[in-house]
Amino acid sequence: MKICTKCVMPNTKPDLHFDENGVCDACKSQESKNKEIDWEAREKEFLKLVKSYKSHPDYDCVIGVSGGKDSTYQVLKVLELGLNPLCICFEPTIPTEIGRKNLENLNNLGVDLIHIKRNPLVYKKLAREAFVRTGDNEWQNHLGIFTTVPKFAVNFNIPLIIWGESPQLEYGGPASSKTRNTLDRQWLEEFGGLLGNRISDMIGVDGLTQKDLSLYTYAKDEDIHRVGVTGLFLGYYFKWDLREVLKKSKEHGFEVSDRAVETTYENFENLDCYSNHLHDYLKYVKYGFGRATDNACLDIRLGYIKREEAVRLVNKYDGIPPKKAIKKYLEYTGFTQKEFDKIVDSYTNKRIFRRDENGKFIKDIDDSLVRKEEYLVK
Amino acid sequence: MGNLRSVQKALEKIGCNAIISNDIKTISDADKLVLPGVGAFKDGMKYLQELNLIEILNKKVIEDKTPLLGICLGMQLLANKSYENGETVGLGWVDAEVVKFTFDTQNLKIPHVGWNEISFQNIPNRLFSNINNHKDFYFVHSYYFKTNENVTIATTNYGFEFTSAIAKNNIFATQFHPEKSQTDGLQILKNFWEF
Amino acid sequence: MLKHRVIPCVLLKDWQLVKSVQFDSFRTIGHPTSTARIYNSRNVDELIVLDIDASLNQEEINTEIITDIANECFMPLTIGGGINSIEDIYKVLKAGADKVSINSKAIEDKEFIREASSIFGSQCIVCSIDVKKQNNSYKVYNRKEGVLNIDPLKLALEYEKYGAGEILLTSVDNDGTTNGYDLELLQYFQKKVTIPIIINGGAGVPQHCVEAIQNGADAVAAAYIFHFSQYTPNDIKQEMANHDIDVRILHNKGVDNEQ
Repeated sequence: MKICTKCVMPNTKPDLHFDENGVCDACKSQESKNKEIDWEAREKEFLKLVKSYKSHPDYDCVIGVSGGKDSTYQVLKVLELGLNPLCICFEPTIPTEIGRKNLENLNNLGVDLIHIKRNPLVYKKLAREAFVRTGDNEWQNHLGIFTTVPKFAVNFNIPLIIWGESPQLEYGGPASSKTRNTLDRQWLEEFGGLLGNRISDMIGVDGLTQKDLSLYTYAKDEDIHRVGVTGLFLGYYFKWDLREVLKKSKEHGFEVSDRAVETTYENFENLDCYSNHLHDYLKYVKYGFGRATDNACLDIRLGYIKREEAVRLVNKYDGIPPKKAIKKYLEYTGFTQKEFDKIVDSYTNKRIFRRDENGKFIKDIDDSLVRKEEYLVK
Repeated sequence: MGNLRSVQKALEKIGCNAIISNDIKTISDADKLVLPGVGAFKDGMKYLQELNLIEILNKKVIEDKTPLLGICLGMQLLANKSYENGETVGLGWVDAEVVKFTFDTQNLKIPHVGWNEISFQNIPNRLFSNINNHKDFYFVHSYYFKTNENVTIATTNYGFEFTSAIAKNNIFATQFHPEKSQTDGLQILKNFWEF
Repeated sequence: MLKHRVIPCVLLKDWQLVKSVQFDSFRTIGHPTSTARIYNSRNVDELIVLDIDASLNQEEINTEIITDIANECFMPLTIGGGINSIEDIYKVLKAGADKVSINSKAIEDKEFIREASSIFGSQCIVCSIDVKKQNNSYKVYNRKEGVLNIDPLKLALEYEKYGAGEILLTSVDNDGTTNGYDLELLQYFQKKVTIPIIINGGAGVPQHCVEAIQNGADAVAAAYIFHFSQYTPNDIKQEMANHDIDVRILHNKGVDNEQ
């Protein structure tokens, strides 16, 4: 295993490439964000584009929101630019109290908000099957967000969708994805994290029919073209700075947690859903790095901490199973602890983590997996 | 060599507790038996003879009427004899012979490998509950089961209609591999398990 | 009727499943367990996994991952990559594979194919041939050695003679380009080989698969289309059925137009 010489991201992360100096894609991307990109030009480009979309008599754009710091920031930015957005919230899998409050807060910034209360019976069936089949307990939620937002854009005849940060620009990804400024159907298929599973593959699961899944079915191509739906990444046109985003959101009522969120050391992300904490833990069991690593790497790139501090934080916080989140998840899905453990084990990385002579994964005193010597983060 | 583990895995998937065994006591205690097989008829019969299993199998299946499911070579072994590499005597539980595919005029390849349809004979046997007619299953064989007894419950077309599944009292068998035929295949195993 | 098969063909690299573009840049498809599970639930006809690490870097064949994948597959599984001996074949089959795919070893030692097919049965032995076009003629390509001065059709006919059960024919030039299969290559092979040919490399839309069968392929293999496009294996088969090609179609329970 190799670790980036600048941040602490390991090369066990899929599609992450290191250059001859051992520096990863995401760090290089961050550098280009600071040096190579002409942000003024991009802002001009954005304003020009937006002007051409201001043809709608009612709303100027659609924004997918969660109430988190990012969507709060997006709404603030869009309002600043004089646009009138229609906000769509595809509710999280297991909502938290603070998440609800922050969504209220976003609504109170002064926007129309459609809060989708989807069919809970259908959603739960999808959630259970997605977890087993794809190893991603939030598969159905990603899909839900990426299909409902364009759906509403089509139905309300609003061509412009504004998304937040471009994941590939911030975190690295296949070369072809970094220069993309738009999120369309093809983006979803390639980079949306669907893992090769499609909504039509879920028909028949626990009796689900095609009609049950209409909310998760992407709008027809001809409707998308008729309305001219285009999704732009705000993060492509405006430099996305984590602390700036957080500061601005807090100034406008966004609340952070009073303690660190499970699986990491910071308290301002992933506040709205317990299932998301499990999602982060699953990333750790599959690839050997979790949210603490993500946060530490970003903090290094933004110059907030040094690498040694990052290594310390990762070793302290990464990989600890989120007990509260798992408890809530089991309550929600109905899986037994045994069923749950079996599924998690089937996704646990045999290369990175140690097993005993019976092939069972060894657990530490805090129930976290034990890394092999050559996979320790140093 | 062969598909023992695949069959076991498939049975476990449908909720059955399956043990792989060639031990007389274990076989004797079993509620149901599955006889899989891949490879040559001669080797299959030799294996059964060397391990002294023919007596206990006769007792369990013919006398005690324990349900048995034969798969691929396991189905062929139920016949009187096979013409593969000379003549070999089989278990003789069904009046049948195992004969090689020969296609003089048609341009068909041997072995018969791939997904092909089965057509139910008369009213679908309970082995096919919850399975529609004309579904595809995975075949891989060069010899086929030729019988005059009225035991054929499904046929498949490969140049001509040959017997792809049989049922005789407590004995069931398929020429195709249910453990390699996904949903429908697993359904067959489930049906057999739930008899 | 024996059906034409649609088969995902993916590469195993660094314990992840990946796909390539012209045998060069690699992109992650996913975790082996979830990918195998998803393929199984999508009812694909078969699955082919080629271990690039074992083949290129001479690493040990990754039997652990093979078993993990095999445990999820209730359809035939073909494993290739680094198979150099009868012992290797035993290892791979024991780990759960149904067939093995042999590439480099077969080029240098055709007797190996004869030996393997007599021990394991020819239906268990797939010979994999990678092809590149050079100066308007097709040549065999090897990941380690590059372009070889061997005619792929001649090679396929020899493999057939020595007992191979199937040929996996991959166009390096078309690999990952999504522009379609190398139909000219199929036409070059035009029905001269009597064992089944699985064409690989280039599929982007279902129509490409139709064209491949119409040009003589017995089965089609692909990677990109299953992961990075909106098309599902069933979409591909539906398109093939619309063109009167015999395929195995499964109607999921719950689709309104189920027969």
